[in-house]
Amino acid sequence: MSGHDSKYFSTTKKGEIPELKDELNSQYKDKRKDAVKKVIAAMTVGKDVSSLFTDVVNCMQTENLELKKLVYLYLINYAKSQPDLAILAVNTFVKDSQDPNPLIRALAVRTMGCIRVDKITEYLCDPLQKCLKDDDPYVRKTASICVAKLYDINAELVEDRGFLDTLKDLISDNNPMVVANAVAALAEIQENSTRPIFEITSNTLAKLLTALNECTEWGQVFILDALSKYKAADAREAENIVERVTPRLQHANCAVVLSAVKMILLQMELITSTDVVRNLCKKMAPPLVTLLSAEPEIQYVALRNINLIVQRRPTILAHEIKVFFCKYNDPIYVKMEKLEIMIKLASDRNIDQVLLEFKEYATEVDVDFVRKAVRAIGRCAIKLERAAERCISVLLELIKIKVNYVVQEAIIVIKDIFRRYPNTYESIIATLCESLDTLDEPEAKASMIWIIGEYAERIDNADELLESFLESFPEEPASVQLQLLTATVKLFLKKPTEGPQQMIQVVLNNATVETDNPDLRDRAYIYWRLLSTDPEAAKDVVLAEKPVISDDSNQIDSTLLDELLANIATLSSVYHKPPEAFVSRVKTAIQRPDDEEYPDGSETGYSETSSHAAESSGPAPTSSGTSPYAPTKQPGQAAGVAAPAAQMPDLLGDLIGLDNSLVPVDQPATPTGPPLPVLLPASSGEGLQISAQLTRRDGQIFYSMLFENNTQMALDGFMIQFNKNTFGLAAAGPLQVPQIQPGTSARTLLPMVLSQNVSPGPPSSVLQVAVKNNQQRVWYFNDKVSLLALLSEDGRMERADFLEKWKSLPDSNEVTKDLPGVVVNSVEATLDRLAASNMFFIAKRRHANQEVLYLSAKTSWGIPLLIELTAIVGIPGIKCAIKIPNLELAPLFFEATEAVLKG
Amino acid sequence: MISQFFVLSQRGDNIVFRDYRSDVPKGSAEIFFRKVKFWKEDEEEEAPPVFNLDGVNYFHVKVAGLLFVATTRVNMSPSLVLELLHRIARVIKDYLGVLNEDSFRKNFVLVYELLDEVIDFGYAQTTSTELLKSYVFNEPIVVDAARLPPLGPAAMFMQGTKRMPGTAVTKSVVANEPGGRKREEIFVDIIEKISVTFSSSGYILTSEIDGTIQMKSYLTGNPEIRLALNEDLNIGRGGRSVYDYGSSAGAGSVILDDCNFHESVHLDSFDVDRTLSLVPPDGEFPVMNYRMTQEFKPPFRINALIEEAGAFKAEVILKVRAEFPSTITANTIVVQMPLPKHTTRVSFELESGAVGHTTDFKEANKKLEWGLKKIVGGSEHTLRAKLTFSQESHGNIMKEAGPVSMTFTIPMYNASKLQVRYLQIAKKSKTYNPYRWVRYVTQANSYVARL
Repeated sequence: MSGHDSKYFSTTKKGEIPELKDELNSQYKDKRKDAVKKVIAAMTVGKDVSSLFTDVVNCMQTENLELKKLVYLYLINYAKSQPDLAILAVNTFVKDSQDPNPLIRALAVRTMGCIRVDKITEYLCDPLQKCLKDDDPYVRKTASICVAKLYDINAELVEDRGFLDTLKDLISDNNPMVVANAVAALAEIQENSTRPIFEITSNTLAKLLTALNECTEWGQVFILDALSKYKAADAREAENIVERVTPRLQHANCAVVLSAVKMILLQMELITSTDVVRNLCKKMAPPLVTLLSAEPEIQYVALRNINLIVQRRPTILAHEIKVFFCKYNDPIYVKMEKLEIMIKLASDRNIDQVLLEFKEYATEVDVDFVRKAVRAIGRCAIKLERAAERCISVLLELIKIKVNYVVQEAIIVIKDIFRRYPNTYESIIATLCESLDTLDEPEAKASMIWIIGEYAERIDNADELLESFLESFPEEPASVQLQLLTATVKLFLKKPTEGPQQMIQVVLNNATVETDNPDLRDRAYIYWRLLSTDPEAAKDVVLAEKPVISDDSNQIDSTLLDELLANIATLSSVYHKPPEAFVSRVKTAIQRPDDEEYPDGSETGYSETSSHAAESSGPAPTSSGTSPYAPTKQPGQAAGVAAPAAQMPDLLGDLIGLDNSLVPVDQPATPTGPPLPVLLPASSGEGLQISAQLTRRDGQIFYSMLFENNTQMALDGFMIQFNKNTFGLAAAGPLQVPQIQPGTSARTLLPMVLSQNVSPGPPSSVLQVAVKNNQQRVWYFNDKVSLLALLSEDGRMERADFLEKWKSLPDSNEVTKDLPGVVVNSVEATLDRLAASNMFFIAKRRHANQEVLYLSAKTSWGIPLLIELTAIVGIPGIKCAIKIPNLELAPLFFEATEAVLKG
Repeated sequence: MISQFFVLSQRGDNIVFRDYRSDVPKGSAEIFFRKVKFWKEDEEEEAPPVFNLDGVNYFHVKVAGLLFVATTRVNMSPSLVLELLHRIARVIKDYLGVLNEDSFRKNFVLVYELLDEVIDFGYAQTTSTELLKSYVFNEPIVVDAARLPPLGPAAMFMQGTKRMPGTAVTKSVVANEPGGRKREEIFVDIIEKISVTFSSSGYILTSEIDGTIQMKSYLTGNPEIRLALNEDLNIGRGGRSVYDYGSSAGAGSVILDDCNFHESVHLDSFDVDRTLSLVPPDGEFPVMNYRMTQEFKPPFRINALIEEAGAFKAEVILKVRAEFPSTITANTIVVQMPLPKHTTRVSFELESGAVGHTTDFKEANKKLEWGLKKIVGGSEHTLRAKLTFSQESHGNIMKEAGPVSMTFTIPMYNASKLQVRYLQIAKKSKTYNPYRWVRYVTQANSYVARL
């Protein structure tokens, strides 16, 4: 080849597509090949070259493998959009699958499997059948994977044609590559099926363990992962398996090593001999450590896994703590993980070394890392009683450096240490108090105040110290206010003198009358009541002994740990979450090519909504095992827990991880309005048809909906959910649709709110909606948000304001668009129509034969739009210009305007 | 299984994009790039190599300034994906000679052809350059390598010293040399990255060597090769040996903590005479990786001192001593030291007769940087710097400054004393005598002296 491929990326003159078309039909081979390359180049940069489909397919019948591959690549991309034309390629595919050249046979099967067009799939079966039994292993291994492809498109077909049995036979193939792919395909099929398809018997086990030694590294991972599902019958068998797998630990490929570690860990659970277990632990340690010499990305994965492993088997790496010391050039994500493991491995034996490291890290530059290092010292103190004193002296040394964030972090952890070892280290309080006025972070302040209140009797000037905080009481964040309240009460109970007496008056007043925070108010009232009725009871409650805390802040509970350990060497072990928490199957979506991208988007909205709601559903209860703020008997605590947000049924939640903001349907709706656009046709909704549109009434946004039930059953329990969208549109109340009998319909107006769940990214008018009822599955459909529904009634601007605003916005904020399809027949009628959509007339001028209209509008969330329309009456075509602070809205505006004017 | 694979430029442009499963939205590359660029989560400012966003799992590695990314929806092995991404980068580099945006764009058809063979339906098939040669037909178009940053550890041979044939590491394994004939040659590189942490008193706190024996073969006909290592090489540390041959370790012998081998390596006689035999596949690959924490002599000693010289002033003295033979020269040395954060001005004073030294005060992150073109074994170099502060120091500048870190490259030197005793190539004929390059190099990984 003479030129550079990059030349294909350069754009030519005007008619690129016709030019390519000519070249594709050229009589010269080289020219055709070049043309296909250009097409692929255009495809890569996202240009639509689907119109060249026939021409490209015509190049398919060639002996030239290079050209053939290019055409196939094109086919994979565009066959779905041109299913009828794709059928043209079938003949060549079938022919190629019988080509004498094994590469061409494999290529044909591989490509056919990637084309998700039903008509093509039908023709795939026969070639696939042959290729699975091909003489050439390259063809067989390609065909094995193709079975998984076909299963993904049409599972029934795979089962009916007996491909599963053929695939199972391939486990005994003499070529390890074929075995590996057959295993991979079977494992995937099993994953997606509820029936037992691929169960590993002791017979397959033996075969796979043999294949393991000869496979490529990737094949070894497939096999190891599949074998990890095998449950050994007894300790004896487990030991045998481990023996066969152990050599994999010496592999240079980290994925092989980790998958082998997983296998060994699983089998170890069955092995009873402690000697064998100890020996295995010894064998696993060096390879695990060696993973930390790999690229940082792999180190990260290894560290997340090691974190889990040492929680279950702390002895494995007990002597290796040094390898987890941070290197100065480690990426931050590696450093953070190493720190976590250092804490886990810290023991009385190595704590001096570890503290030396932490102290060093605490003076580094990266603030987050420094904070975490300081916290690590505190966690070691809590974990290792005998080392607590040394930890504290390191913390005091750090406080003396007077770096603000170090001091604050240190105070937070010292509070935990006080809590863990009461009446032991109070002598350092004086040193802490020196830093009092430098505290500006809520958590540090709250911690310091807790310390003062808790040890008020030992701090001579505790009242003065607390008083200094009281001045700013109203401005403090809630966490600090709560601590101040409790600390003052403690002070008063311990030293009921005049000073504290006045202080308590001030605090109780501040915390009841002057506050809007229900937690604070409730707690204050309870204290007040207690103090005024029975001060002794108050003492019992407020000064009660607190339960001992332990460092379990990063420990995973043992059932979850079991599950995560079974998932070593998978994403689950990196996220430290069980697979079902993040794996989202989209099987149903795949079968609907038209809105294939949609369910992913909806996922966003759902998960975000729920997590968000969890955070914001009233103040979180502050009590937890490690928090010193929460002496169990403290009555304020109980009051601090606000009632949970209104209980919502979580029908949809079961399906898509959503557990609130869904509302049951129990009230009749009011039928109104003109015909609505059909968004979910009955053909896609299994008989349920949904039409809907955003409308605006009396200054409020509604989602006007029509449900038509063409099914054979009554539908009820309707619920709706909107995905995150540019405008943050969400339902303001429950969807109210009564039970719909077969053959009837129901209308409803759903009130909507804005700015609820705003999706980031460039604005889009797409509104993704999910609707569910009790009888069917969830229906997804897309609507287009018209800006019209979002323009507010008070968008009218005074002329002077308009001019001023127009001038104040730079020219760069002006966007113009021609709307060719629009014609203004009468200025008056046009203005009326615009006014009805909340675009208000301001002024008009004539320029030659053109009418120039100025209008103003405002979005519901307050963004002004300044509009200039230029048109010649009676002649199609209108020029629309707007000035707007937020340019991103312009396209949506043009769309909306066009819609209004076209009527 | 992987859903998509793509390569992004530093600016976030799609250079290569391949969708294997169409179960992840097409816009994923953009979503990914935006997320990584503005990462701020869990108090960390750098995106971890694996994360989940809206049900899609993203994996990425950075190679030669490019982002290699894969996506999936299922709970698959992250080390497999990350390792695969690194391997894909290596295979493509084997083919193209150099790895950068330009070479990608010029060869996109070849890259797609490779990707089709490397991954099928999201399953890794093969990443062996050797094997791929039988399935891949496009010829690479070689781009001008001279101005491009090379890739991989062997790239260090490109720097400074003229001893190495400069084209070796940027030569495609498939492209023919101008003139049509391929030069018969094989490179064996012993690359060691050393990490040392010195305490403030100069005592070695931790030391570690990560080594690789890397091979790149341009031999026709793939002859068998024997590689002999130190006879007294031991694997497994002292009393806690996990292997049988740990205990007999004599003084002066090389003791590795752990090692692993490429799948093409036969270890039949390794236990007997420490030789590896293999038929090297084409392309660059690690024959053996090893790790050593046995004590070794650090090549450099660093002496750093910071002293107050009045309320608003301090003086820094940095001394670097090369503790290797004078026949060896280290190059591209950079010494860095974070200074107290109130430092506003630094004036440097180099020793008399200093050649090829650069000094700089990086105002933005308050770092002192001292660059030396080369250091000859046995020599010592000193830098003095006078600091001026904007605020009175509180008497703890020692805590605010440091630690001193150092990067360097020392060709023809290896800290572990691991040796290739000989490299034997099975002869095809009497006249067959290919070029053999056995090269050693030591590089700093994390070389730190605390204050």
